[in-house]
Amino acid sequence: MDKTKKQEQTSTHKIGIYLWIWGLLFVLSFFSYMVDWYQFQGMLRWSLILFFMFLKAGLIMAFFMHLYWERYALVNVLLWPMTAIACFIFLMVAEFEYTVFTRFFYFVVGG
Amino acid sequence: MSDLKIEGYEFKPGFKGMAKDTGSDQTMFKGVHWGKAMMWIFLLSDTFIFSCFLISYMKGRGSTIIDWPNPSEVFGLHVFGVDVPLLLIAIMTFVLITSSGTMALAVKYGYEKNKKMCGWLILATAIGGLTFVGMQAFEWGKLIHEGVRPWENPFGAPQFGSFFFMITGFHGTHVSIGVIFLFIYAYKTFAGHYDEGKRGWFTTMKGDYVEIEILGLYWHFVDLVWVFIFAFFYLW
Amino acid sequence: MSEDFNDNKTIQAQSSEAISGGGSGIATDADYVRPAEVADQDLYHGHSFITKWIFCQDAKVIGVQYFLLATFTGIIGLILSWLMRLQLGFPELVPFMTAEHYYQFVTMHGMIMVVYFLTALFLGGFGNYLIPLMVGARDMVFPYLNMVSFWSFFVAVGVLLASFFVPGGPTGSGWTLYPPQAILEGTPGSGWGIMLMCISLILFVAGFTMGGLNYLITVLQARTRGMTLMRMPLTVWGIFTATVLAMLAFPALLVGALMMSLDNVLGTSFFMPTILKAGEVLEYGGGSPILFQHLFWFFGHPEVYIVALPAFGIISDLISVHARKNIFGYRMMVWAIVGIGALSFFVWAHHMYVSGMNPWFGFFFATTTLIIAVPTAMKVYNWILTLWRGNIRLNTVMLWCLGFIVTFVNGGITGIFLGNVSVDVPLSDTYFVIAHFHMVMGIAPLMVIMGAVYHWFPLVAGRFLDEKLGKWHFWLTFLGAYSIYFPMHYLGFIGVPRRYFEMYDSPYVTSAVGMNEFISLAAFIVGAAQFILIYNIIKTLKTGKPAGHNPWQACSLEWLTPTVPPEHGNWGDRLPTVHRWAYDFSVPGAKEDFITQTTPPSEVAHTKVEKT
Repeated sequence: MDKTKKQEQTSTHKIGIYLWIWGLLFVLSFFSYMVDWYQFQGMLRWSLILFFMFLKAGLIMAFFMHLYWERYALVNVLLWPMTAIACFIFLMVAEFEYTVFTRFFYFVVGG
Repeated sequence: MSDLKIEGYEFKPGFKGMAKDTGSDQTMFKGVHWGKAMMWIFLLSDTFIFSCFLISYMKGRGSTIIDWPNPSEVFGLHVFGVDVPLLLIAIMTFVLITSSGTMALAVKYGYEKNKKMCGWLILATAIGGLTFVGMQAFEWGKLIHEGVRPWENPFGAPQFGSFFFMITGFHGTHVSIGVIFLFIYAYKTFAGHYDEGKRGWFTTMKGDYVEIEILGLYWHFVDLVWVFIFAFFYLW
Repeated sequence: MSEDFNDNKTIQAQSSEAISGGGSGIATDADYVRPAEVADQDLYHGHSFITKWIFCQDAKVIGVQYFLLATFTGIIGLILSWLMRLQLGFPELVPFMTAEHYYQFVTMHGMIMVVYFLTALFLGGFGNYLIPLMVGARDMVFPYLNMVSFWSFFVAVGVLLASFFVPGGPTGSGWTLYPPQAILEGTPGSGWGIMLMCISLILFVAGFTMGGLNYLITVLQARTRGMTLMRMPLTVWGIFTATVLAMLAFPALLVGALMMSLDNVLGTSFFMPTILKAGEVLEYGGGSPILFQHLFWFFGHPEVYIVALPAFGIISDLISVHARKNIFGYRMMVWAIVGIGALSFFVWAHHMYVSGMNPWFGFFFATTTLIIAVPTAMKVYNWILTLWRGNIRLNTVMLWCLGFIVTFVNGGITGIFLGNVSVDVPLSDTYFVIAHFHMVMGIAPLMVIMGAVYHWFPLVAGRFLDEKLGKWHFWLTFLGAYSIYFPMHYLGFIGVPRRYFEMYDSPYVTSAVGMNEFISLAAFIVGAAQFILIYNIIKTLKTGKPAGHNPWQACSLEWLTPTVPPEHGNWGDRLPTVHRWAYDFSVPGAKEDFITQTTPPSEVAHTKVEKT
C-alpha cells in the first residue's frame, strides 16, 4: 500500500476518479436492474445480484467514503465487526430452513 | 483526509503501519478528525441496525409457508401501455446515486475551500434526497392504494407489507434526516461558517470543512444501505 | 511498545549500569515524548447553576448524574426484589400481591437491574468519570452530546417508571420480553406496559449511543502524550471494550423492540405465529417468535459482558493498587478482555437451548461458550497471581475485591454447567439458572461497584468513606448474598422452576419451603445493608477524613490532577505526559513503593523499573 504518499495530498483527489466511480455506479446499477429485466432465476440470479451489490457497495465505501485512502487501522476496525453479522446471517439461514421444515412437517404433512 | 504529517511520527504503510498506529500514543486513527471518527463508529453501529433489519427480513421471508409476492410485479409501473418491472425503483436508485456523486464532489470542493461550488453541490444533493423521499412517498401511496398494509396485502404473505414499510420507512427516515442536515450545511457553507470557524449553534464547536466530509459519510452510507435494500428487497 | 519509545531502551541499559555503578549522566532526551498531535480541546465552561450542575457538559458531573440516577433506579429494583422474596418466602402474607403483580415485579426487576442500573452505572457512571481522567484528556471529546446522552437516559428512566402508573401496569412478560405472550392479552401490561418498555429501551439505546461514541473516540483519539493503548489502566480497557460491545449489540435490541412495538400497535406479524385463543384464530399469522429470541440474545449475551468487562477492568486496578503489586500478565489481561468481547457475539443462542431452534445450533453454541470460558479463567488466575505475595492492604476495597473473585468463580463454574446442552436442558428455567446469573452478573459486578465506590470516593468527594461502616457493609452483603444464592443452586437441582408465583402443594414443598423462607430473610437483610453505604456517603461527605492527593498511592493519572476533586478541564494549565503503564508498584530500588505514570524515566533510572 503506497497510499500513504498519496495521502499527503489527499485533500483534493483528481476530479476524474469521482466521475469514473460515479459512472461505474450507474453502469452497475443498470446491470443489476437488467438481472430483473431478463428474469434470470435461481443461482444465476443470486450470484449476479450479490456480485453487483458488493461491487457497488465496495466502490461507494472505497472511493466516495474514502476508505481506500484511509489507513489500515481505521479500515480494519470498520470491517472486522462484520464477521459477527456474517455469522448471524449464516445461522439465520440455517434457522429459517429449519423453521420452514418444521412448519411443513407439522402443518402440512401432519407430524 | 487532512495533510498527514505529524511531528516526530513516521508513517508506515499497510499492516505494519496499522500495528504502529495502534501501538502509538495519543491517537489510533492518525490525522482523523474526532467528528469523522465518531461518524464512522456511528455508521458501524447503524450498519448493525440495518443488518438486523435485513436478517429479520430474511428469516421472516424464509420461514413463511405462504408464497412471497413477486417484487418485480408488485413494484412494476404501467407506463405508455407497457408494464415495466421495478421502474420506479430504478429511477430512485438513479436519483440516490446521483446525489451521492454530487456529495462526493462537494466534499472535494469543501477541502479545496471552494465555498460556492461546495455549497451548490450540497444543495444539489439535498434536492436529490428530497426527490428520493418524494418518490418513496409516491411508492408508499401506490402500494397502500393497491391494498398493501403492514398487516396484510393482496399478493401473498402478510410479512411482505410489514417488512417493506418498516425497512423502507427506516431508510426513508435516514434520508429525511440527511436532507434536513444537507440544507442546514448548505446554508452554513454559503454563509461562510466553515471559512471563519464559526461555532455551532448547540455544540459550540468551531466550524470546519471536515464537517462536510462527515455529513458526506452519512449520506454515502444512506446510499450504501439502499444498495443492499435494492438487492435484497426488490431483486430477490 | 513501538519504535517511538525506543528511548526507554537506553534507560534500560543505563538503569542496569546505574544499579551496578554510579547513577549519573542520564541523557535528557530519554524523557522525550512526541509533541501533541491535536490542539488542546476548547471547553465550554458553565457559569450558572443550571449549566454547571444540571445541563452540564463536564464529563465528571455527567458521570455523577448517571451514577445517582442509576442508583435510584437500582433501589427501585431492590425494592421490587424484596416484594418478590416476600411472596416467595411467605406466600399469601401480602394481600395486594397477585400473580400479575409478581410477574410485573420480576420483569421490572430484571430489566432495571441489567440495563438501567448496571449498564448505566458502569458505562455512564464510571465511564464518564474515569475515562477522561485516566487517559489524560480534558473532557469527553463531544461534551454536548454527552450531556444529551444523560438526559436521554433520564427520559428513558422516566418512561420506564411511568409504566407503573398506566392502565394495566408495567409489562409482566419477563425481562426477556418474549413474544407472543408479551403482547397478548392475559399477560399483565400487554398493552401500555410493553409499549412503554419498548419506547424506553429505544430511548436508552439512542442515549447510550451518544455516550458510547464519546467513550470510544475519547479512548481512541484523545489520549494524552505518551499514553499508548497498552499503557492504559485496565479499567479503561474494560469500559472501552464493553462500549464497543454495546455499540454493536444494542442495535439488535433496538430492532427487536421496534418490531415488537409494530406487532403490538399496527398488528403486524413479525414475531407472531398463527395463534388459537379460546378456540378462535387471532389475526396474527406466519411470524417467527424465535426470531425475537435470536435478536434479543444477539443483544443479550454481549450485554452480559457489557456489565462484566468494566467490572473485570476495575477489579484489576483495585487489586493491583491495594496489593501493591503490578497486575500479573497485563497484556494477557488486555487480550482476554478483547477476546471475550469478540467471542461474546458468537455465543448468544446458549440462552435458547430449549427454545425449539435448529437443534444443530446446540453443538455450535456449546463449543463457543466453552471457548469463552478460557480467557475468563485466565483473568481469574491473573487476579489471584496478582495477590500472590503482594503487600496486601486488607481494607474495605480489598475485601470487596476478594468477595468479587469468590462470587465470580462460583458463578462462572455454574456457567460451565449451563453452557453444555445436555446439562442445561434439565436445569433450564430452574432456580439453578437464577443462582448462576445472579452470582456471576448480579453479585459479582455489584461487589466491584462497591469496591470502586470505596476506592474512588476520595477522588470524587475529597474524603474517605468510613472504614468501619464499610466492613459491616461488606460482610453483611457478602455472607448475605451467599445465603441467598447458594441455597438456590439446591432448589434448582430439586427442580423448583423459576418465575413461579407460588409453589402451592407441589412435592418439593417440604425442603423448598424452609429454604425459601431462609432466602427471603437473607434477602431482606442484604437489601437493607446496602443503605449502610448511602448513610456512609451522606455522613462522610461533610465529616469524613480528608483524603488529599493520591491517598491510595496509586500510579494512574486520575489521582494526579492538580486539584482534588478535579476541576472542569481536569489538568489545569498543562496536560500530563505519560512515561509508563499504571502498575509500577513496589519497584526495587525506588524511593516509594509506587512510580506514577507521569514520572519521567530519568528520575527513576536507578531503579529496576521495566520498560512499558
